[in-house]
Amino acid sequence: MSKVVKAKYTAEAVPGFTHRTALEEAARCLLCHDAPCSKGCPAGTDPAKFIRSIRFRNVKGAAETIRENNVLGGSCARVCPYDNLCEEACSRCGIDRPIEIGKLQRYAIEQEKLFKMKTLKAPSKKQAEKVACVGAGPASLACAAELAKAGYKVTIFEREEKAGGMLTYGIVPSRLPQSVVDHDIAQVKGLGVKFVFNTEAKAEDLEAFDAVFVGTGLWDANLPKLKGAELKGVYSAVDYLKQARTKKKDFDPGKRVIVVGGGDVAIDCAVTAKLLGAEDVRILYRRTIEEAPANINEFHYALSLGIGITTGLYPVAAIGTKTKMNKVEAVGFYDKKAKAEFSCDALVFATGQKPEDQSAYGVDVNEKGFVKVKKGGKAGGKFFAAGDIVNGGKTVVEAVAEGKEAAASIIAYLEKKGVK
Amino acid sequence: MAVKKDLSLKYLGVDCLNPFFLSSSPVGGNYDMVAKCYETGWGGCFFKTVGIFVADECSPRFDQTNKEGLPWVGFKNMEQISDKPTELNFEYMYRLIRDYPEHITVASIMGSSVDEWKKLAKMADEAGAKIIEGNFSCPQMTSHDMGSDVGTNNELVESYSRAVAETVPHIPFVAKMTPNCKNMEEHARAALKGGAAAVSAINTIKSITNIDFENNTGMPVVDGKSSISGYSGAAVKPIALRFCTQVQQDEEIQRMAKEGKWNFGHGHEMSGIGGIETWRDVAEFLAIGCRNIQVTTAIMQYGYRIVEDMASGLMHFMDEKGYDHLDEFIGCALPNLIPAEDLNRDYKVLPAFDEKKCIGCGRCYISCYDAAHQAIDWNEKKRRPELNDNCVGCHLCLNVCPVQGCITPGEIKWKVRDENGVAVREANDATHIKFKKDARKEKKLALKAQYE
Ligand SMILES: Cc1cc2nc3c(=O)[nH]c(=O)nc-3n(C[C@H](O)[C@H](O)[C@H](O)COP(=O)(O)OP(=O)(O)OC[C@H]3O[C@@H](n4cnc5c(N)ncnc54)[C@H](O)[C@@H]3O)c2cc1C
Ligand SMILES: Cc1cc2nc3c(=O)[nH]c(=O)nc-3n(C[C@H](O)[C@H](O)[C@H](O)COP(=O)(O)O)c2cc1C
Ligand code: SF4
Ligand code: SF4
Ligand code: SF4
Repeated sequence: MSKVVKAKYTAEAVPGFTHRTALEEAARCLLCHDAPCSKGCPAGTDPAKFIRSIRFRNVKGAAETIRENNVLGGSCARVCPYDNLCEEACSRCGIDRPIEIGKLQRYAIEQEKLFKMKTLKAPSKKQAEKVACVGAGPASLACAAELAKAGYKVTIFEREEKAGGMLTYGIVPSRLPQSVVDHDIAQVKGLGVKFVFNTEAKAEDLEAFDAVFVGTGLWDANLPKLKGAELKGVYSAVDYLKQARTKKKDFDPGKRVIVVGGGDVAIDCAVTAKLLGAEDVRILYRRTIEEAPANINEFHYALSLGIGITTGLYPVAAIGTKTKMNKVEAVGFYDKKAKAEFSCDALVFATGQKPEDQSAYGVDVNEKGFVKVKKGGKAGGKFFAAGDIVNGGKTVVEAVAEGKEAAASIIAYLEKKGVK
Repeated sequence: MAVKKDLSLKYLGVDCLNPFFLSSSPVGGNYDMVAKCYETGWGGCFFKTVGIFVADECSPRFDQTNKEGLPWVGFKNMEQISDKPTELNFEYMYRLIRDYPEHITVASIMGSSVDEWKKLAKMADEAGAKIIEGNFSCPQMTSHDMGSDVGTNNELVESYSRAVAETVPHIPFVAKMTPNCKNMEEHARAALKGGAAAVSAINTIKSITNIDFENNTGMPVVDGKSSISGYSGAAVKPIALRFCTQVQQDEEIQRMAKEGKWNFGHGHEMSGIGGIETWRDVAEFLAIGCRNIQVTTAIMQYGYRIVEDMASGLMHFMDEKGYDHLDEFIGCALPNLIPAEDLNRDYKVLPAFDEKKCIGCGRCYISCYDAAHQAIDWNEKKRRPELNDNCVGCHLCLNVCPVQGCITPGEIKWKVRDENGVAVREANDATHIKFKKDARKEKKLALKAQYE
């Protein structure tokens, strides 16, 4: 019998560093000249600088560096794909293995919270111009923080009742606890940014603002053609995850769950199902593991929880009654003759998200519905955009980076306008 | 088959199973502890110092320094001598000497007057001690009549040594020296003059390890206050090696030892103490002429079991070097430790960079720029160091490079001097070439060993 990991949905799965282990890890850092890790961070979090601070016992200084450069430093510490970013660039790879940069970042932010540090402060002298941000996801939050730091009055419109976007409604809390997201968002609130919740921003809401930032993300599901798609029990990933987060105890994850897809989102859905008590959870991916976009470590993690991974098949029909599905038929992707039938009462499609209609905002979209921008997120006139809605769905840290860049463009735009 | 070598040797005429002894401290404070250490493989024990004075200790009494997450780089204690009744201590020693006749239980004593020293020496003799050590070196005694204040007073060292030597003329007396002095040789000479057979060193170094900012005092904190007290452990090894070397190289001490009654043909028989943790540390103390080594801090941190790797590691070292007995290499480094003015200053060894091993961290570049001679240019594109003509061969780069074997001693450049002996340029001419070749090979080998 295999021993599987028992974890809790709301409790962080990976333990963090203690003061001692953090120092030990920081001591492994080579303190590089012109450090490659810092160049590897899209959001400019500057790991080489904050690791050096930890190494020289200046943990508060480390937290400061992170916070100043990346307002979502706590969340990024949990969910960044470091192995493609800073840790991949790390010089120490040439000796043995990279510095655990994400974990050190997490440690510094945990200390920040412990010490009740307030790093970010808005200047008391305010600028005259007002800026609106649509959506309270990573891109908007990063943009708003930069603007507030420069003294602009920022209002964020968010249609949900909480801020965070995918951080709050998508990613599993065992990977990214809500308290971490909330702590990051508190930094933005602390800068005086105004949040208007439960409000889908309309064109007329935005008229009074001197500039508008659009960071609405991707919230429409990309569902493949499927017989029985209308049956109860068939979900899109975003829907499934959001319901799990918001309905809490009232959410029924299903007993036998099949998640379709091979990315991080598929794994989050499978983990959610498993941690919420589903008996049998299986990831169904049409290609091979080698071709899967998800990190192999995430597959390892799913496996360690007892989640099965089946490759080479994709679903063609959900079968059951109007009120309950009970099985799914799948066929081979490469092996055209392969056929399989799985009993299942929840079928979750983690096969990508697509943009919703953005016509309320003065932005152009391409054929896929993504907002078209020039360098620095300029979408024409007073409109700016960044994050998933522009890049087609990438990562939190890239949304932060682009949000920061857009803020710089907005400031340049408003300054130019002010001169005139 | 595991490598086996004979580690036995004679120390002050006494047969020892090996040179590994506990130094006088809480690691050897009662019968059961010392019995266990003998069972584990230690050759002997300098029992916790016994006085007529019975110590009244403070709590807490330890602190440590650490670096980059590595604990116990150095260790500070505020202990004095034994806090057990004098008679009980001698009873422990008596039983240990009776039950472990092959192991050497040394009585460490400390008096505050000639009479006390005499009395303690007599008690040690009655317990059967084959060697007595006099503690002239504890830096945190609550009385100025004892400890390192005595150890830096030549008259007292001599008269107390004489008190012991005359009371128990058949037992060799070892005077334990303090490093809190200007010149240890002078105090060692005083001890030998008074009749001591040899000296041991070092005791702990007066220190303040850390400041506690809650109480604004040192650490450890005792009721809001702290004191200067003794520092030991790995951090002090270099200082200990230096003192031992100076004592061993002192011609007067060697002459006194040879002419004295405790001459067994080895010259002065030093016992080395300070920061010893591994077989390599032991071998180093032996190389500078010690015939006995003593350990406390490493045992406090890791336990008696460290002796297992000391013994096995030393045997492997001897096997590798072709030694069958410790006597074959004791003192081997002494002739090569010479005054700075006698060093050969005719050449420099340039660093050689292995491009393949280099991981592009740039540490060599930073250190050479900020702390040496701006002799490394940084190739930003390739992320590689490039040596220029400024290099003086100091080897700072080699010491900071984190990759083993990446920077190594490379080409040797000979200086050309003018008639006043001032170096004017580097040699390129053929007259030097032969010498250059041979010297290079030898130096390379020596340097290789040094850095690996
Ligand atoms: C399940 C899952 C797991 C993921 N895991 C990772 C990971 O491990 N690492 C990683 O880096 N990235 C991960 N991502 C991707 C990451 O979450 C996104 O790239 C990132 O959140 C994009 O940020 P954003 O601000 O562009 O959009 P979002 O996070 O999508 O935020 C957009 C916000 O705008 C709001 N909104 C939309 N339209 C309107 C409107 N008209 N009016 C008002 N509000 C509106 C939404 O409610 C939402 O709050 C994951 C995504 C998912 C779905
Ligand atoms: C390579 C080196 C060279 C030094 N040269 C001098 C010197 O020329 N004059 C001097 O007063 N101290 C000199 N020092 C001692 C330092 O100034 C300092 O007192 C000592 O290193 C202790 O401080 P630190 O270890 O915290 O750096 C030197 C130290 C080093 C490491
Ligand atoms: S690249 Fe790696 S080793 Fe170098 S500074 Fe960054 S974390 Fe440290
Ligand atoms: S040996 Fe000294 S001077 Fe030469 S490159 Fe290295 S650090 Fe610089
Ligand atoms: S210190 Fe060593 S590894 Fe780092 S750049 Fe210099 S030679 Fe390369």
